[in-house]
Amino acid sequence: MMFAIMFRPLLRNRKFIVGLSIFTIFLVLGIFGPVFYRVDPTDMTWDYEHPPSAKHPLGTDTYGRDVLAQLFNGIRSSLYIGFLSAVIAITIGSIIGTFSAVKRGIVDDLLMAVTNIVLTTPFILIAILIASYMKVRSIEIVALILGLFQWPWFARAIRAQLMSVMSREYVYLSILAGYSDLRLILEDLIPTIATYSFMSFVLFINGGIIGEASLSLIGLGPTQGISLGIMLQWAVLMEAVRRGLWWWFVPPGVAIVAITASLLVISTAMDEVFNPRLREE
Amino acid sequence: MSLKVLKYLLRKLLFLLVTYIVAATIVFILPRVVPGNPLSEILSNLSRVAQANPEAIEAAERELMKQFGIGKPWYSQYVEFVTKALRGDLGTSISFYPRKVINLIVPVIPWTMILLLPATLVAWVLGNLLGAFAAYKRNTWMDKGVLTVSLIISQIPYYWLGMIFIFFFGVKLNILPVQGAYSQGIIPGPSWSFLLDAFKHYILPFSSIVVSAMGGWAIGMRLMVIYELGSDYAAFSEYVGMKDKRIFSYVYRNSLLPQITGLALSLGSILGGSLITEIVFNYPGTGYLLFKALTTLDYPLIQGIFVILIASIYTANFIVDFLYAIIDPRIRLGQEE
Repeated sequence: MMFAIMFRPLLRNRKFIVGLSIFTIFLVLGIFGPVFYRVDPTDMTWDYEHPPSAKHPLGTDTYGRDVLAQLFNGIRSSLYIGFLSAVIAITIGSIIGTFSAVKRGIVDDLLMAVTNIVLTTPFILIAILIASYMKVRSIEIVALILGLFQWPWFARAIRAQLMSVMSREYVYLSILAGYSDLRLILEDLIPTIATYSFMSFVLFINGGIIGEASLSLIGLGPTQGISLGIMLQWAVLMEAVRRGLWWWFVPPGVAIVAITASLLVISTAMDEVFNPRLREE
Repeated sequence: MSLKVLKYLLRKLLFLLVTYIVAATIVFILPRVVPGNPLSEILSNLSRVAQANPEAIEAAERELMKQFGIGKPWYSQYVEFVTKALRGDLGTSISFYPRKVINLIVPVIPWTMILLLPATLVAWVLGNLLGAFAAYKRNTWMDKGVLTVSLIISQIPYYWLGMIFIFFFGVKLNILPVQGAYSQGIIPGPSWSFLLDAFKHYILPFSSIVVSAMGGWAIGMRLMVIYELGSDYAAFSEYVGMKDKRIFSYVYRNSLLPQITGLALSLGSILGGSLITEIVFNYPGTGYLLFKALTTLDYPLIQGIFVILIASIYTANFIVDFLYAIIDPRIRLGQEE
């Protein structure tokens, strides 16, 4: 019931609907594409560098591999990497932000010092450095590397929000009633930051997907499997761009932009609906 | 400059120094803790990577052992590494043996700066103007158009837009060069033919960064201006009958402050994106050198580039903080922490 009241205004927001629809299409393509389009994306054939045709709807690459099959599998892994890295980033960020806000004092100082250091250090550079030392990188490892350094801005925002929430009366009441820290966090604090966290989660997915593409292009992506970044990397290595093989490098880029932009639109729409200062009159 | 500004800057500087030492520590620890012992990996790869000259390989191996301080206790290795890194001594490259890492990096940095700095600043200025314009025209079709386009282009990776530009302007229309920073056969120097040639090569990488970086700034600025327009001082100015234009110029200036902080915070990801844009364009900057170092597993060079890039990001951060201190009266007057 509470959720219905919360979500009804969202479903009336056109941006939200458009964003959600586009994202859902790509989610479905990623999940069911490889199931229904049963072409092995690693299968090399003699039809190399063919433009789109009935046999290969998106053409083939230099080794005669089917681009559409690569795209479906790529969307699947990129979404998986984005989701996994977002789970990691949001978990670390929430724990650090919440502890800082609840414990205050020296714990807060230390955690915020660490947060600021990680925040100032470009996460993509650390990711490049770490990945360069790993000979074998599974999709999960790439997600882990990307998730481990993305959380600082979220931790800071959560801390700031919680600090302001904690000066409200109902929280004082809970503290007076002798609730434990854990119960305080679960019952009084988490509900107030749930929307913001969800919006951040969505942005972390974007960070993961774009981060994977960047790592892959520089040659440090997953060493097994296909992702959207790996497709772009192959296209760049084989000079597909300068040789005009558009069907090879355009689809993965379109998929990246469509997925991340639709998620950004969802997050923006939620901000407009739940943030009274942005609500349209 | 007042004492308060100095104090503020000094604290920022101290923080950056600590951060730099932490970053250098990460660079130090990583090869020693990552499973699979990359050091022995490098040593066994040496013969494959270096030219087939046994003496050079042996010398490189000794250099590497010395550089990583193998055989010495870890704390003396650590102190040596950090102090050397602070002095700019980054060791010897493997794939370009016997050249010093620092001598390989210094010549490519200007190329990256020439591309990155103007592109970032132009994108920031244009994005802010666009965002403020959209907020000013709030809820009209112009606002919606700007927002929609910005939401999409802000998510386009620079390098992918670069690929599209190469394909469209270089391959299809064939009107602009698509790789390098100047044509082969032209000697870099202060001649008109070189400058014109370099300029033609500059257009595509520059505009792909500007266009895709602009969207994010526009979205941020639009939001900030909308917030500020809803604040008490804006309402008050309106009640006392101040002209719209005047109010808007106040609002614009106040909204710029968080955008400056935003610029400092996103320097890293801008740098990351433009490094890869360099790779796509075969542009002879730091990104291209990093790519070469990565493909040959030249770890001293990789580490060196990393240390330099981190240091530049911190320096740029400090410059932005400095500007912020000059612009924001709250810091000038010492009101903010």
